[in-house]
Amino acid sequence: MVTIKKFRRLLLNLPAAALLAAIAVLAVWAAPAQSAGNGILKIGVLEEPKSLNLWLASDAWSNRILSLMYQPLYLREPNSMELVPWLAAEQPDFDHKTLTCTVKLRPAKWSDGSDFTAEDVVFTGHMIYLYQMPRHYSKWKFIEKVEAVDKHTVRFVLNKPMAIFLSRTLTTPIVQKKQWASLVKQLEGSERALQEILQHDFEEPSVTGPFVVDKWKKGVFVYMKKNPHFFGQGQTIGGHKLGPHIKGIIFKIYGTADAAILALRKGDIDFYWNDIQAGYLKSIENDPDIKLFTNTKSGVYYLGFNLRRAPMDDVAFRRAVATLIAKEFIIKRILQGYGEVLHSMIPPGNEVFYNPNVPKHGAGLDRAQRVKAAYEILSRAGYTWETPPVDAQGKVQKARGIKTPDGKPLREVVILTPPADYDPHRAMSGQMIQEWLREVGIPVVSRPMAFGALIQTVKTQHDFDCFVLGYGKLALDPGYLRAFFHSSQDKPKGWNMSGYNNPEFDQLATESDETMDTAKRRDLIFKMQEILMSEVPYIPLYNPVLVEGVRADRFTGWVPALGGIGNIWSLCEIQAK
Amino acid sequence: MKRFIIKRMAQVVVVLFLILTVLFVLFRLAPGDPVERMVDPNLTLEEAEHLVEQLGLKEPILTQYGIYLKNFAMGHFGHSFHYGQPVAEVIWEKLPNTILLFTTAVILAALVGVSWGKIAAWSKGKWKDLAFTVAALVTHTLFLPWLALLLVWFFGYRLEWFPITGMMSEEVWLDPDTAWWQKAWDVGYHMMLPLLTLFLIHFGSYLLVMRSSMLDTLKEDYIVTARAKGLSEKAIRNRHAAPNAMLPVVTSVGLSLAFSINGGALTETVFSWPGIGRELVFAVSHNDYPLAQACFLLIATVVLFSNVVVDVLYAYLDPRIRY
Repeated sequence: MVTIKKFRRLLLNLPAAALLAAIAVLAVWAAPAQSAGNGILKIGVLEEPKSLNLWLASDAWSNRILSLMYQPLYLREPNSMELVPWLAAEQPDFDHKTLTCTVKLRPAKWSDGSDFTAEDVVFTGHMIYLYQMPRHYSKWKFIEKVEAVDKHTVRFVLNKPMAIFLSRTLTTPIVQKKQWASLVKQLEGSERALQEILQHDFEEPSVTGPFVVDKWKKGVFVYMKKNPHFFGQGQTIGGHKLGPHIKGIIFKIYGTADAAILALRKGDIDFYWNDIQAGYLKSIENDPDIKLFTNTKSGVYYLGFNLRRAPMDDVAFRRAVATLIAKEFIIKRILQGYGEVLHSMIPPGNEVFYNPNVPKHGAGLDRAQRVKAAYEILSRAGYTWETPPVDAQGKVQKARGIKTPDGKPLREVVILTPPADYDPHRAMSGQMIQEWLREVGIPVVSRPMAFGALIQTVKTQHDFDCFVLGYGKLALDPGYLRAFFHSSQDKPKGWNMSGYNNPEFDQLATESDETMDTAKRRDLIFKMQEILMSEVPYIPLYNPVLVEGVRADRFTGWVPALGGIGNIWSLCEIQAK
Repeated sequence: MKRFIIKRMAQVVVVLFLILTVLFVLFRLAPGDPVERMVDPNLTLEEAEHLVEQLGLKEPILTQYGIYLKNFAMGHFGHSFHYGQPVAEVIWEKLPNTILLFTTAVILAALVGVSWGKIAAWSKGKWKDLAFTVAALVTHTLFLPWLALLLVWFFGYRLEWFPITGMMSEEVWLDPDTAWWQKAWDVGYHMMLPLLTLFLIHFGSYLLVMRSSMLDTLKEDYIVTARAKGLSEKAIRNRHAAPNAMLPVVTSVGLSLAFSINGGALTETVFSWPGIGRELVFAVSHNDYPLAQACFLLIATVVLFSNVVVDVLYAYLDPRIRY
């Protein structure tokens, strides 16, 4: 009787019982569905591409997929980082007198089977020029003419020498004329032509890369299959024998890094294409199924000053701040060892243009020595204290009542950082810098601010004292130094956020932009770095090391490079174990 | 009743207009624009300005507002700045996923919550009441992301009973020979952990509402009358007390169903469920005005109409209510 009663109660709770039963049944029945694909690489990512339209999808997440589809004429070889002919057949033939460059093309096909020709290159340039294509136009606007000499030869005529022509213009991905020409014709005379181009969506874009998108379940996965027409199949380019040797790639989209890393450990994915944060590494390092790759990035994270305001307009103040910042401490404690100290705005990984002999403020000093050095710099510049940070016996003490050279109390300085949930490293660096500056009595506060608001405050309104920002993926061409520090960029929404203005630097930057001889340009870039690190409008802090994880038991042949193993060379070379 | 419905519909239209305006103003007040967020030195100032102009963000604010109202009136939601796709397409791709997960969760949680709430009230002061009430309070107050991660770790990673996250297995969906029921089965399998999480979080609120309402009802004279008539306890509970105690639960469930189209950014993010909640947060954080506005408007519309439906439903459920 008791049992019947219990059974009746269970029936009353049927919905809950149904849920539990469903869980149990599904767990047993459906679990075998999780099986590893044959020759299909599974990659975990945190965002899906914006679109398969090259002109719209230029962000880092989209680029992971689109870089395997749309190809440039030249590509950087991962070991030497030198440009090697990719869709081009040989090195460009540049005539410095006539500013003409001739490029021979490799015999290649689009994924629809049609021939890749010089007309496609000319058309790509035409589109960029016609629509002032964002992120590309600045690399093409100095091209006076681009013409097809024959089916496999393109000639570029420049209206002035430009250093970025070889490293940036010739590395622009090429689109198929056949696929875009009718839309371009339709849009003739349209006021919002660029918007129409960006909103255009292809179900099956024609590409020349090693993979094509076969199926895309929005928000869940993207399946790329091997492109049977890939020009590199079986070829040796830049010393690499290319495949692909895999059937395809599935990009699985995860909402959080936690889920993606669990999936990697469980074996649901073979590679997590993202930086693994230090907090996860302890548990992963001891996992025999996971292999970690550590590579440097081309990134720079820095403290920027607003030179339009006092006391940041005083170079002595900026040098004192630079002296007080213990970058080694930031690497060791905040990045937990996964980063390198930066002394220049060009990271050391950029071997051609990095100047190792720039002034290194406070390098190698301990805490007390830093305080003393900063005190000396500020005292020499006329700053005074009620209680100085160093007493008469040379001992460091708590400083109080700092005054500027004109005798006024130093006002509070605010350091803006992104919030900790956006980037804990930058937020914590701001807090540490705040503590270090207080050691010499500088009244300072580190204030986290929502990223959108921070960018608007710093880049548009110029209403700030100091900020901590960074770039995770800088181009190897150092042209960005001009963008960051040339006086012409000191305007709302311009890249010169600090308001740095130095005619000597401006002249060097313009000259370097127009110098195509690498050795000569290197000298100019070295000089620019020396000026910057002497006047410190920005204090470069660190460049995080990129840690990526793959399943040790699945695929082999990963190609490490600056920026990690997630690159087209790896995906053309890896083989199933 | 007809007059009441017409009056309520007129109110809905006015409120919708106000919501449209507030949404427009709020997004324009937010710092930055979608182009400003692209912190990329490759994007020059000239290119950025050209892009802003092409997106129509350089027009005077009143012109933008006029275009915005006109487009909404004609059912054009524009193109997402981020995806470049028509907003309606983005929403329709994600909305069914959200409805499937959240509506199922609300219905299951409501059925169990009401059923257990009824039992708890009937056994007031006994161990069953205590057990149900404590269980409801504990699960209802759990921090959702923590619970979700715990379930993922335990059932997904340790026991390997369920997929860690996601909505479908690629092997199943890429195989051209997969039948529709296998695909449905696969989605159901992936849905189990998020469903369990949402169920655990939500059933407690229905249980507590039902219990409290039922306790009030049990004090009513008609319950005493029913007992005096010699009806069985089961009949009194299920046929006399429970239907009258259902009114607050109907409101709660009705609104929860309406809000289920909003999804839940946290649940959808932790379980990588491709739904509207995740999309909404993404759109707001990336200043994707057209997409965010359309998402909010959709939610507002459904909630407003659900309110009208719940009001009308009240009149049927409770004969004392007349409009």
